[in-house]
Amino acid sequence: MTGQPGDPPPDEYVEAEIQSMLAEDPSVAEQGITVVCRERGLVLYGEVESPHRREQILRRVAERFPDVPITSDIGVTRTQPPSQVEELP
Amino acid sequence: MIRIAAVGDVHLDEDVVGRFRPALEELPDCADVLLLAGDLTRHGTEAEARCVAQEFGNLGVPVITVLGNHDHQCDQVPQVVKVLEDVGITVLEGDGIVLECAGGRLGVAGVKGFGGGFAGRCASDFGEPEMKAFVHTTEESADALGAALRRLECDLLVALTHYSPVPDTLAGEPLEIYPFLGCYQLGQAIDSAPTALALHGHAHHGTERGTTPGGVRVRNVAHPVIKQAYSIFHVGDQLDRS
Repeated sequence: MTGQPGDPPPDEYVEAEIQSMLAEDPSVAEQGITVVCRERGLVLYGEVESPHRREQILRRVAERFPDVPITSDIGVTRTQPPSQVEELP
Repeated sequence: MIRIAAVGDVHLDEDVVGRFRPALEELPDCADVLLLAGDLTRHGTEAEARCVAQEFGNLGVPVITVLGNHDHQCDQVPQVVKVLEDVGITVLEGDGIVLECAGGRLGVAGVKGFGGGFAGRCASDFGEPEMKAFVHTTEESADALGAALRRLECDLLVALTHYSPVPDTLAGEPLEIYPFLGCYQLGQAIDSAPTALALHGHAHHGTERGTTPGGVRVRNVAHPVIKQAYSIFHVGDQLDRS
């Protein structure tokens, strides 16, 4: 039986809320982060443009969901020049 | 042959300024033009546009861009466009430009584009006004791209969009969100002209390569997909032989 006052929300709704927050929170505004529910909590993965943004995401999610264990696998996209060219004859 | 550098979804703000610049300084040696496939900023503010101008302005090669959905977030599009144009960046929305390159005349037509989905799995112009408005936006954007492509007189024609014209380059994204990532009408527009290459961004988890039903090569140049400052394409070998 679910839906009793005080029950934690089902994981799927938590995932949805985190995804919305990541996209809509002006301090985050990331649409490229995926939230996946694993046995030991939620995993966030994807890539962002700076280490600052990664920290910001984790901070905002932890503030909003202090009881949900979160693992981060968010990378910072590399910006080196290309080593190869694609020939399109 | 014309050398085209391209990247999209760089999402600049103060914290990113300077990250791309060292690679961008090499562009005059390896490319004739840099094309940006939208989502230049995080929220589309004038201040973020100034970061884009600082990073992508005065590069020694022409820079042409379309805007993305993020660049519309704060409803400051005119200010964003002005900041970019003030440093010489060409912003396309339903129009095009022809550049004289060493290898020939490069025509670039661009539009942000919109979602809608792909053949057989797409929104229809039917029902509630909100749904009709959604599909009208899709169609108007694609129509503008098609008209711009067909108008350009050039040796090599390139289409530049933010949203994807094909599902191929979305592989890796959840199927359920494809209708928010692109639409088949953009592909139809690209196939209505002798387009040599179509470039887009927006799909961060997508893949690089695809083709339109008409056989035009499509490349997703979203920064998280290409994982480098920009990609370079050498297009139009036949121009060297004519």
